[in-house]
Amino acid sequence: MEQLGRYFVIGVTSGLIYALLAVGIVLVYRGSRVLNFAQGEIGTLALYVSWAITVQQPLPWVSTLPPTEKWLVGAVAAVIVAGLVGYVFERLVVRPMADSSRLSVAVATIGLLTFLVIFESILWTPNGRILPPPVAGLGVRVLNYYVSPTQMIAVVVVVLVAAALTALFRFTDFGLGVQAAAEDQATARLMGVRAGRVSAFTWTAAAVIAAIAALLIEPTIGVFAPGYISRLFVFALAASLVGGLTSLPGAFVGGIVVGVLDSLLVYVLRSTSVGDFVGTRSIPGVDTLVIFAIILGVLLLRPNGILAARRVRVA
Amino acid sequence: MTATTATLPRSLPPILTPRRGNIILAALTCAVLPPVTARLMPHWFTGSVAVFFAVGTSTVVAAMALNVLMGYAGQVSLGHAALLAAGAYTSGLLTSNAGFPLPFFRVPGGQSMLVGIAAAGVVGGLVALIIGFPALRLRGLHLAVVTMAFGFAMTDAFLHLPAISKGSAGVNLPRNITPSFTLVQDADYLAFALLVVLLLWLIDDNLVRSKVGRAFHGIRENDALAQAYAIDVSRYKLLAFIVSGAMAGIAGALYGHSILFTNGDDVPFVFEASLALVVIVVVGGLGSRLAVVLAATAFVVTPKLFDLVHVPEAWAAAIGPLLLMVTVVRHPGGFAELLGDLRERRHRRKIESERRDQPGADDDPASTRIPELGLVAQVAPAVKRPEVAGKDLLVVDDVTVRFGGVLAVDGASLSVARGQIVGLIGPNGAGKSTLFNAIGGYLRPESGRIQFFGQDVHDLPAHRRARLGMGRTFQNIGLARNLTVLENLLMAQHHIADYDVASALAYLPRTARVERDLEQRAWQALKAIGFEEFAYRKAGNLSGGQQRILEMACVLITGPELLMLDEPSAGMSPGAAENLAMRLRDLRDRLGRTVLLIEHNVPMVLDVCDYIYVLNYGAVLAHGSTEAIARRPEVIAAYFGEQVA
Repeated sequence: MEQLGRYFVIGVTSGLIYALLAVGIVLVYRGSRVLNFAQGEIGTLALYVSWAITVQQPLPWVSTLPPTEKWLVGAVAAVIVAGLVGYVFERLVVRPMADSSRLSVAVATIGLLTFLVIFESILWTPNGRILPPPVAGLGVRVLNYYVSPTQMIAVVVVVLVAAALTALFRFTDFGLGVQAAAEDQATARLMGVRAGRVSAFTWTAAAVIAAIAALLIEPTIGVFAPGYISRLFVFALAASLVGGLTSLPGAFVGGIVVGVLDSLLVYVLRSTSVGDFVGTRSIPGVDTLVIFAIILGVLLLRPNGILAARRVRVA
Repeated sequence: MTATTATLPRSLPPILTPRRGNIILAALTCAVLPPVTARLMPHWFTGSVAVFFAVGTSTVVAAMALNVLMGYAGQVSLGHAALLAAGAYTSGLLTSNAGFPLPFFRVPGGQSMLVGIAAAGVVGGLVALIIGFPALRLRGLHLAVVTMAFGFAMTDAFLHLPAISKGSAGVNLPRNITPSFTLVQDADYLAFALLVVLLLWLIDDNLVRSKVGRAFHGIRENDALAQAYAIDVSRYKLLAFIVSGAMAGIAGALYGHSILFTNGDDVPFVFEASLALVVIVVVGGLGSRLAVVLAATAFVVTPKLFDLVHVPEAWAAAIGPLLLMVTVVRHPGGFAELLGDLRERRHRRKIESERRDQPGADDDPASTRIPELGLVAQVAPAVKRPEVAGKDLLVVDDVTVRFGGVLAVDGASLSVARGQIVGLIGPNGAGKSTLFNAIGGYLRPESGRIQFFGQDVHDLPAHRRARLGMGRTFQNIGLARNLTVLENLLMAQHHIADYDVASALAYLPRTARVERDLEQRAWQALKAIGFEEFAYRKAGNLSGGQQRILEMACVLITGPELLMLDEPSAGMSPGAAENLAMRLRDLRDRLGRTVLLIEHNVPMVLDVCDYIYVLNYGAVLAHGSTEAIARRPEVIAAYFGEQVA
């Protein structure tokens, strides 16, 4: 039972990160009706940027900084680069494809994802890298589990991002424009919403959020390599499906649900006799099996997400 | 004399057609070239060179597999590499000493490589069925999501299960054909692998030539369009994934047997390999097999070329995704379309030069004259329709459709008597097309009943209703724009193409016979509408009026009982609209067909309809015989605006 509490806390903390990535997915999906498959990998790129300027070849003034400030310098650079990648991709690829099928745009994001993975491998080799956490130390003990300082920062940041986005959508004209464009591009444009600006915002914001999520989860996973955040991105996709793909609160609920469910099922498959029966006790990647099952389950049972009314739209 | 020469080819039994000749030639080349080259030039064509090319055949097959799914059917997979892994492990467990685990049963190992590769195809198809079923019922990119998750689950978990990994790092894949005969020489194995590629190429080609390939293309163009032609969209999407999965499984087995031992971390099985396949298929040109195979070959060979000029191989890999982004932004058809453009330009020049010789041939017949549609309807094979109890063919009872908060159709009721032309009129946004979609099964009403032939069709999906004899046209023209005129007419006959999927893939004699019938019927229809010269033109390149005519021909070619026409005269000249009215009357009077017509052209509606329903704000405002409706003041007000006294 003690173990169970521990896995529950792990589930909630990682679930928050999935929620953050899922918010990026939902933002882009609402704005452009496209799943941005490159989003996770933009997060990986951000980790490499941060690693390159704080560990690999730090500038003289960076290397003398105390750990937290050093991390911050790396994080700011990472977020800026990620945002730039998102913005440039929107301008050069998404915008010219305004009238193309949504499938083509999704395929274009797969192209960006592929390019980033290869680019990272060329520049930094496929070897695993480690980024030091912003704050050292074991952290606070909750239910037999030490919640690390980074995870506590993550909780605060996720709440801040959620609050900022909610405020943006509720209280600003621009936020309203984003919502209108999500409902109906053409009408929104006729009503004076600048669709280009809305699109640029959603793609850039999603990239920035991906970078933030990557930086906050890296100390928990330890080692990263090309493609790493894309693997976590699958969890975020599951979270956004659970939340119904178009709802921001849904993305948060979905993130927590997926995080906790995944963590508990991993506990069952790794630490109980069920694991002996299935043969999963000693498989470290069993979380991928669980998330695969969760995605299949959601699509079978609640294709519109758990928050939606139970209504199956069969193609 | 000329008559005999014309019939001569038909009377000869077609034992050696040009196609068969080419196949035999290709098979001989595949079988002979590698072994002979290896024995003549052992220093140049070494074993490792042969293995390099054998691994390349696996990449080619994997790309062909993804092309079936993405190129033909327009569905995205981000986990094809995992299907390759499934295939490689299947063949490995069966051919090595390990044995293949089934529930409560273990198939013993030591089987022939032929059994292993066939089983790899079966397992690949089964896995595709299992993971495709939940995803492909839904619209959108769910398959990409599921397959991405599946890819990671495969490499990170499945392959490590003790039942599969045997506690070791991977599986052996020996090349024994029989217990005593093994393809020891790498070049001999390469010949074998090339023959497998050829076989799959032929199956793929059969698929494209049959109704299955046309159904895939229809789905890729537009779900609703495919349903209107009675294509079961979910089923064919799933079928595309199963065929693709089977090919991917075989590709995995080919890879494994070429290097004799494999484990889950091998390059072709990981996430990056799935991405590379997407790049190959998109850059090559979605749907063009030859172009995709060429792109796959380039993908295999280019790194070696980079190596030769001392540039790191990895740089070659970075070119692909950049090309992909350029492709989707600038040339959505990929490499194949660039070639196609050239061909089309040459073709157009030829036609233009012919045109100059024939003055007056440039007139667009569709702008002034509607061909005899009744002739197309007569082309259709005779179908026995059930008798209708009473005289109403279609009864719509109190149907309500809601989009979120908007009430699009509000308790509408109407009935359409057999052999009548019934008009459905009303201002823009009155809910006419929505009601059409509810009747056809393209959306599900919130409440109400719809009866066709006296049968409640509420639970029937759109493609089943089409099969029952509901034909429809679309406001924005329901044609597969990227298929030729002839191919559209063939696709439209989907549900009367009476052969199953297996005989399509093998292209059995029966399939060939049915296809010949379909083609004959299509040509008769082309002749009836006077479109013979456009047979090989892309439907999207016809003029608007021509597209409307072709669309109606596509609907009529299967002889539906009820024709639901959504603004057929839109974009037609008044003369052509008058002509169309005549053709519709002809369909009613001579062939006894029933028509439900949405139309804004009020003179035409008053001219042709027997009975009229007026829809406003989603509800039936008035209905009655044409004469009665024409006099109703509230109808005049709603439809023509307030009368100015």
